[in-house]
Amino acid sequence: MASRRRMLLKVIILGDSGVGKTSLMNQYVNRKFSNQYKATIGADFLTKEVQFEDRLFTLQIWDTAGQERFQSLGVAFYRGADCCVLVYDVNVMKSFDNLNHWREEFLIQASPSDPENFPFVVLGNKIDVDGGNSRVVSEKKAKAWCASKGNIPYFETSAKEGFNVEDAFQCIAKNALKNEPEEEMYLPDTIEVGGGGRQQRSTGCEC
Amino acid sequence: MIAERFEDEEKWLAEGIAGIQHNAFFMHRALDEDNLRDALKYSAQMLSELRTSRLSPHKYYELYMRAFDELRRLEIFFKDERRHGVAIADLYELVQHAGNILPRLYLLCTVGSAYLRSKDAPVRDVLKDLVEMCRAVQHPIRGLFLRSYLSQVSKDKLPDIGHEHEEGESKDVMVAVEFVLQNFTEMNKLWVRLQLQHQGPSRIREKREKERNELRDLVGKNLHVLSQIEGVNLEMYKDIVLPSVLEQVVNCNDELAQFYLMECIIQVFPDEYHLQTLETLLGACPQLQPTVDIKTVLSQLMDRLSNYAASNTEVLPEFLQVEAFAKLSTAIGRVIEAQADMPIVGAIALHVSLLTFTLRVHPDRFDYVDQVLGSCVKKLSGKPKLDDSRATKQVVALLSAPLDKYNDIVTALTLSNYPRVMDHLDHETNKVMAMVIIQSIMKNNTCISTADKVEVLFELIKGLIVDLDGTIVDEVDEEDFNEEQNSVARLIHMLHNDEPEEMFKIICTVKKHIMSGGPRRLPFTVPSLIFSALRLIRQLHGQDGDIVGEEVPTTPKKIFQLLNEIIEPLSSVSSPELALRLYLQCAEAANDCDLEPVAYEFFTQAFVLYEEEIADSKAQVTAIHLIIGSLQRMNVFGVENRDTLTHKATGYSAKLLKKPDQCRAVYACSHLFWVDDQDGIKDGERVLLCLKRALRIANAAQQMANVARGSSGPVTLFVEILNKYIYYFEKGNPQITSATIQGLIELITTEMQSDSASALPASDAFFTSTLRYIQFQKQKGGILGEKYDPIKVQIPA
Repeated sequence: MASRRRMLLKVIILGDSGVGKTSLMNQYVNRKFSNQYKATIGADFLTKEVQFEDRLFTLQIWDTAGQERFQSLGVAFYRGADCCVLVYDVNVMKSFDNLNHWREEFLIQASPSDPENFPFVVLGNKIDVDGGNSRVVSEKKAKAWCASKGNIPYFETSAKEGFNVEDAFQCIAKNALKNEPEEEMYLPDTIEVGGGGRQQRSTGCEC
Repeated sequence: MIAERFEDEEKWLAEGIAGIQHNAFFMHRALDEDNLRDALKYSAQMLSELRTSRLSPHKYYELYMRAFDELRRLEIFFKDERRHGVAIADLYELVQHAGNILPRLYLLCTVGSAYLRSKDAPVRDVLKDLVEMCRAVQHPIRGLFLRSYLSQVSKDKLPDIGHEHEEGESKDVMVAVEFVLQNFTEMNKLWVRLQLQHQGPSRIREKREKERNELRDLVGKNLHVLSQIEGVNLEMYKDIVLPSVLEQVVNCNDELAQFYLMECIIQVFPDEYHLQTLETLLGACPQLQPTVDIKTVLSQLMDRLSNYAASNTEVLPEFLQVEAFAKLSTAIGRVIEAQADMPIVGAIALHVSLLTFTLRVHPDRFDYVDQVLGSCVKKLSGKPKLDDSRATKQVVALLSAPLDKYNDIVTALTLSNYPRVMDHLDHETNKVMAMVIIQSIMKNNTCISTADKVEVLFELIKGLIVDLDGTIVDEVDEEDFNEEQNSVARLIHMLHNDEPEEMFKIICTVKKHIMSGGPRRLPFTVPSLIFSALRLIRQLHGQDGDIVGEEVPTTPKKIFQLLNEIIEPLSSVSSPELALRLYLQCAEAANDCDLEPVAYEFFTQAFVLYEEEIADSKAQVTAIHLIIGSLQRMNVFGVENRDTLTHKATGYSAKLLKKPDQCRAVYACSHLFWVDDQDGIKDGERVLLCLKRALRIANAAQQMANVARGSSGPVTLFVEILNKYIYYFEKGNPQITSATIQGLIELITTEMQSDSASALPASDAFFTSTLRYIQFQKQKGGILGEKYDPIKVQIPA
């Protein structure tokens, strides 16, 4: 039964507005990139089949709104995540500083059973911009932060050029797979042989 | 009651989740067994939990997400025909047997997703069918989530360019666009309808409206989907997408929806689309409900566009080509006109946004800046001065923006509407703004170099320069006032031109303005102006040789006259001490310019002030020392004038109230007769007369102390006089001999012995040091050593 459940791996991408979350996902899933900034509203996912250790998995990648005002319904979709990807823009210090906030926010809202060992992956995106001349967060600094948070794997990526994106998501999938299933196993009190199921609570109408 | 409802809600949610888990369990078992019939049965039962009407949007979303996760597994099962043995088209029919409509439609969408992927049927038909079928659910919350599910499962299967499809490409894209637009329209209708259902007490209504607002992203999500369709190029956006979306936005007549959806349009579609469709987008603004916060919407649009311009200079021609500024400016005008009830703060905030936009996008277009200010003046005119603090804050932002951008007040001074905006500020804000202007000048070290600009500048900051009507002096905070006036004083030094002619004009302009400042401001501002003028005098004097006589209109003499006029009012506003200092400064400057009568006049003024205005004894001591010091440095005076002035100075010195003060002033006067310059006056006899007189006063002081306190005072005065003797002795005053010094030393020694009790350690130490100095000179030898040789000193142990 566990094997069936593990066919689907749920990944959440978080990070400040404009760091390239949607672009990374589009690059990975569709091999497409657009330079235009388009805000994301709410959360939604794309799926991609990945081959891993001779088995096929469906990676469900949730892209989220970086702008808080476009997250009006809350973050119920965090539930059941197998890996959380934190993205920042290497050219914007604030987006790096906020990684902590995003990580904590995720741990609070998703409340995984073992927060210490919940798999995160950090991506420093947009390393292509201005030939790297405008970058303000050094690789060293980012790696130090990742090390301090329990050796989070770190990748430098360019969604625009597709650089390192595949490798990063390989690692994300691998870590998601390692994550122990969170789902509390549901066992019904009685197994009804007749298969009538539970009594339906009436809602008063038929729709 | 609300808390109770909250608890109930938690309970209902828990029940719902339990129901989902229970049925999901059996659904999974059925899936494991590839049992399609049971899988459908249990999944339908699971989805029945979503039929609840008792949850708020937030909680409903949690429940929905549970079901959603389970449905993903069902979808994987549906996709795999080998497992259930039913063709996808048949499956599509089969799920429609579910009893309740909501579970039926969720299942239909789930199969539809697999159906779309399989491409067994024309995508267009499946999409059309799904979006039409969903009409069956008209309960707003349930309908919104169902349609959001449809949107979610279909979005990666929508026909788009680059995908392989049987039909022509742009036709494919149209299928996708029409599908999303239809879903969007239906969702927006459901969302707006929710508002109409809200009735009852206002507290409940408010809560419901808040809950309704939480649902907004479900609707807005459709716009995000549209923006992600690659085939939606500019043309299609312009011709189909934007007009359709705006039509829905305008026609729904709902404040919440209109504000949010405008925000979405601006955020989800790319910059260049906005730029190319500005007219259409802006055209919708005046048609929105009057309560819509249109200024935030427009600010966000302008923010986006200015960021776009800043990110890439190559796009600038595009802005010019589409006349972005003119269009935005017109739109703002129309919105203000259309929303008659808009508070003034809103109108000004709109102007601030537009100004920020033009400063960022067209920094070289001063005419645009002035135009924005002018339009703001128009809005403000005919109204009483602003007293809404939020509005005045916005005006300050409006006026500060050009200063921050150009780092140069001079630019702002060329904007004809700048002062006109300031005229609409209340007194307090006017002062705040004036301070902002001065700080900008200081920060950027801006030099204001013409009298005309100075005139404009002082007109701008007049709130600091004069009392405007209605200010109550008592209300002014002393510290703030001082800070303001110190700033004005500093500002005066930034007004400068190397051309004496223009500089003189600047000085006259400043004088005109600050002289009306009243008694509290003059002591701050006058000194700055005086020193600024003195600098000009020195400059003129320095280039004296180059300029030929009478043609020059700006002469030091003329400036000195002006200075006299500037200082005079100070003495009458109870700052006589300050006036006296300034007179002395002027006298010294006149001395440097060889203008004896002018210098004499300034000294006369100083003495008159001393006599008539300075009554405090401490102030007198300070003043007399200042006079002595200045007079000592004068070399322009002829014998007669000099005698008159020195006579006055020594006379006043001897008339000070306290004996020690008299003594010190008198020995200081000795320097008036001995100027240690090559051709300075050296009148040894009169020096000695002063010192002897000082000694007599010191003696008298000693005796008075004896009478009054029973012990003679300290010998400090004597030691001070001794040092004066030593000074003149070394300088070669023939009247001071080694014998005179020896005599004085002995006198002091006797005095000290006679009254050792009262001797202060300080004066003791002073005396000992003096003796050591003599000793040192003796031992050092040389000419000075020989001079000192006859003096015998015995340094006390």
